[in-house]
Amino acid sequence: MISELLHALVFPGLVSAIIFGFLYEGILRKVTAHMHSRIGPPVWQPFLDFVKLMSKENITTKDSFGMIMTFAPIISFASALTVLLFLPVGGFSFLSFGGDLFIVIYMLIMAGLFFAIGGFATGNPFASVGSVREIIQIFAIEFPFVISMITVGLMMNFSVSPFFAWQFPFALFSFLVSVQGKLSLPPFHIQEAEQEIVAGPLTEYSGPRLAMHELAKGVMVWTMISMGAVLFLGATNLLMFAVNSLALLFLLIVVRTIFGRLRIKQSLRLLWYVVGPLALIDLARVLLGIYI
Amino acid sequence: MHDFFLPVGPQHPALIEPVHMKLRVEGETVVSLEGLELGYNHKGIEKALENRSWTKSVFLSERVCGICGNFHTSAFTQGVERLMGIEIPDRAKHIRVIVSELERIHSHLLCLGLVAHEMGLDTLFHYIFRDREIAMDLLEMLSGNRVHFSMNTIGGVRRDLDTENIRKVEEGLEKLEDRLYHYVKVFEKDSSVKRRTKGIGILSEKMATEMDTVGPCARASKVNYDIRNEGYLTYKNLKFKPVIGERGDVMERNVVRFKECIQSVKLIRDSLFSIPKGDIALKLPMMIKIGEGLETMSRVEAPRGELAYYVKSAGDRPYRVKIRTPTYANFHMLGHILKGYQIADIPVIVASMDPCMSCTDRVTLVNTKGKETVLGKEDFHKLNGGHHHD
Repeated sequence: MISELLHALVFPGLVSAIIFGFLYEGILRKVTAHMHSRIGPPVWQPFLDFVKLMSKENITTKDSFGMIMTFAPIISFASALTVLLFLPVGGFSFLSFGGDLFIVIYMLIMAGLFFAIGGFATGNPFASVGSVREIIQIFAIEFPFVISMITVGLMMNFSVSPFFAWQFPFALFSFLVSVQGKLSLPPFHIQEAEQEIVAGPLTEYSGPRLAMHELAKGVMVWTMISMGAVLFLGATNLLMFAVNSLALLFLLIVVRTIFGRLRIKQSLRLLWYVVGPLALIDLARVLLGIYI
Repeated sequence: MHDFFLPVGPQHPALIEPVHMKLRVEGETVVSLEGLELGYNHKGIEKALENRSWTKSVFLSERVCGICGNFHTSAFTQGVERLMGIEIPDRAKHIRVIVSELERIHSHLLCLGLVAHEMGLDTLFHYIFRDREIAMDLLEMLSGNRVHFSMNTIGGVRRDLDTENIRKVEEGLEKLEDRLYHYVKVFEKDSSVKRRTKGIGILSEKMATEMDTVGPCARASKVNYDIRNEGYLTYKNLKFKPVIGERGDVMERNVVRFKECIQSVKLIRDSLFSIPKGDIALKLPMMIKIGEGLETMSRVEAPRGELAYYVKSAGDRPYRVKIRTPTYANFHMLGHILKGYQIADIPVIVASMDPCMSCTDRVTLVNTKGKETVLGKEDFHKLNGGHHHD
């Protein structure tokens, strides 16, 4: 009982997710800044942002639904966190049963979906454009993402466990592309394009609600990287996990600095016509049993 | 799909300067530009110029714009010198060209950096701004100032340059030229950039002529319109030929700007090579007097296009100064190049037009509803404090 509580609240659950989520986001920002030839914020900046935002007030405009605005980011955060409980981070998994891979997939969709719902609830034109874009992005990304997840899922009976997908380069590739999309990093930062639609769904958010969004985003970074490290790079112990996750983070940063933003149609075309079919190749290989 | 209004500005993260655009949007597609509100940045400089002596006016006219201030003083002093009937020394002309072209480089790089930023490619934005610093540093070395250079004065320029300066400028240009050639390649070849700029915001040659488009926007649409063609200052001796583009889309406008920067580097080099010895300014009395009622029109090619100053004299001060800035001329075509493209393209198209609100906001209309008033000459005299009777 106590050990289960510890797992849920400390590792790999709540506390470690928040700490590592913000830390990885901080590293992401710092290294990006260096690649831009800027100095950038300190690594612990996301913590400071969170604390400061928590101390501010919530503003609910006339057209918005305060209730949904409050709960949407919390549900986003909770779904990203729940995924972590199924992952065998560092070799031991806390909640694990046959077929839990599907729960992971659903939970990750929930996180994006409630981000969009939170945007719709604000009644701001920029937010509604951003939310529509977020929904389209979910449709675009889920195709290659789910196919690549099922490819590795077939290899381990749909239960989340460490797996090194070196036989399936296309599945690995499409997973990495969809991670970039799920975290809305360039070239997929379409729903939060500040130059086009201010902050997208987050335009009207302020104070603790925005802090919860930041938290959900930070945990999402940690969750997606952990998933990559465990499910696709096969981290069985803590050392391997650390190496894999940092390597993945670095890859995210490199891709983020060398690409500009895609238009929504270009993103759909890329993910459905190029990345998705590539993932299908590997799925077919698994189904037909053509692999080493 | 239903359509709605998308307000862009006056406070917007992409357009840092205040302008309000009211766009009718259907889904992600722009249907039309319904309204454009300027004037958030009105500073009343034209009126203020009427209450200053000629020499002081030069410094005020530089404050019209923080990016192309030197071009404003060039146009103003050129007009005043024409009214006085004087010719400035050759060395001063060369220095004016050198400072102008350096300023053109930093202004174009600012615009191009912003275009990269608008398409979400922040890395390129930071790289371009880092290289823009080379031009800024050279200007600081030559003039002592980073932003408002205060180089021009009536009858010449205020600071000379020595051999040490010339050597440093040449070194800086060498570095800059390398980078500029690199960027031309990036903007023409890089897939990430091409995807966002090619075939976007097309301005046809016919439209460009009809809408009186000026500057790089016009030249990217095959319109050969550049005031430097007329050969003011030393441009005639430098055998200036404008950069003309073909397609008139965002990509072409960017590439034309980079090629103009490369051309500016060459113009500066030639000027440094051929700079004559001599005075940098004519000796003029402290209080300049010009015959009352004389008027002139003076034009220069600013980074954004044709900049025109109308100057009329009231003896010891200007009676009226009217400034027509290039961005104001370019706003006419904005509605046409936005129509039919995506919301995602709005910032890129607007940035590729390189708008400068600080330059543009010359006239403000307060409460235009209700009765219309026509102001005559006498009313203007009254507004002018009753100073002038002619």
